[in-house]
Amino acid sequence: MDAANIDVLNSLLEKDSNVGEKIREQVKELDKKVRLIVGILGKIHSTPLNSMQPLVATVDPVLLSCHEHIAAIANAIPPDQYWRWKDMWSNDIRSLVFAVALMEYFKTRSLISLEKSAELLGIQDEWKDRIILPVEDYLLGLINMVNELSRFAVNAVTLGDFEEPMRISTFVKDIFSGFTMLNLKNDLLRRKFDTLKYDLKKIEEVVYDVSLRKLVPTDKV
Amino acid sequence: MLHRGQPGLGENDDMVAQSKARHMESMALNSVFDHFRQQIDDSNDRRERLIKTSRDVTNISKKAIFLLHRIILEDTDDDRGLRAAKKGRAKLAEVYPLFRSMRAELVGERFWQHQRQVSPGLQEFIEALSFAHYLEHNTLISFSETQTALCDEDGPFFPLTVSDYLLGLSDLTGELMRFAISNISRRGGRTTANEVCTFVRNCKADFELFTPQVRDLGKKQAVTGSSLEKIEAAAYAVMLRGSEFDLPPEILEDLVQQTTTRFSTGERDPDNPLY
Repeated sequence: MDAANIDVLNSLLEKDSNVGEKIREQVKELDKKVRLIVGILGKIHSTPLNSMQPLVATVDPVLLSCHEHIAAIANAIPPDQYWRWKDMWSNDIRSLVFAVALMEYFKTRSLISLEKSAELLGIQDEWKDRIILPVEDYLLGLINMVNELSRFAVNAVTLGDFEEPMRISTFVKDIFSGFTMLNLKNDLLRRKFDTLKYDLKKIEEVVYDVSLRKLVPTDKV
Repeated sequence: MLHRGQPGLGENDDMVAQSKARHMESMALNSVFDHFRQQIDDSNDRRERLIKTSRDVTNISKKAIFLLHRIILEDTDDDRGLRAAKKGRAKLAEVYPLFRSMRAELVGERFWQHQRQVSPGLQEFIEALSFAHYLEHNTLISFSETQTALCDEDGPFFPLTVSDYLLGLSDLTGELMRFAISNISRRGGRTTANEVCTFVRNCKADFELFTPQVRDLGKKQAVTGSSLEKIEAAAYAVMLRGSEFDLPPEILEDLVQQTTTRFSTGERDPDNPLY
């Protein structure tokens, strides 16, 4: 190999490793914040619904502080290379979708849209050649939320709230029926989707237990 | 909205409105997922098409490599290297319509989205291209020459990555091993084998510089290493017999043939019946 060719390759590789380095720095910080958020949201299981808003509100500033890292990542990615680097931080993105979806559930009892998730994550539309919220990551975040809600249904009952499992049940059934409309190939999304049925079963059991003991008015079931 | 979370506040009208709202919500949700399905299907279908095309590219490239081996081993007195390269490139030209069809699928961000589907065929193509280049020029094809080969009048088909370039070249060393060993019993074959041996040794040293940055190159380096050893062993056998005994060339060639047969019954590469 002649020297000129080696130089060409080295300079290309160096450019790539600089990009990787810049992204890595940001992901490291983002990762810490995401863990913090997930940690806070872990407390929902021991929080009665009337104290949920203050708890959820403590996530907001941390979430906002994630924006700068996501912006910096977008900045570091060369145009059209989103898919090349995304694996470095897609776990964090999924956890963030999980967080905003769960928070949205507690605020409005409805499913957060992909667009709103992207907005809350600070992913701006004009960066779309460098960073986007792909459907897969959004859906994986939703599955995380359903996993969490199935536990929450159980713990809500423990805290004396017998109606919450009913609401979770309708909400999760809708999401599940949405997922059944997708043609999934044998990938991560498919495997995660397969876990949903256990969540559904778990929630149904709680609903069954609670209604059998007449702990909720019958018109709510 | 909030009061819904608290038990006992649900008025009857409120309940009806709520259930209507719920119905609307699930309808809306279905149409959203409908849209997701289309997006996921689109990308899966594109992926499948690219895998197929990439496989076709591999196929043609392998045939071009066989062709190169066949021509270079012919018993003629002309410049076989040049002729092989020409014929090989003509065969490789069959790949261009496929590359052109891939270009439309790989616009913008999609190249990196589907890079893993493109790589296998592309690397095989680079292997064939670099083999033709070697037979003609006795040098390693450069990155920019490879880029040029991946263009037509409308510009590049898609970006060439350093990784595909190096991994393609890394496979070239295996072809060179086959070439050197099957050629060794012929007139001038020993000189060629020694040249190839030096060339592959240099390749291995050059590639080593890039192994930390290029995934999978380390594994391929091991294969290059064993190809190199095979050429070295064959060259050694020739040298040893040639120097110790004053044997006529025919018998010498028989001895070499035995060595090479032993090698080819050793680790067999299922992808390459030539070997």
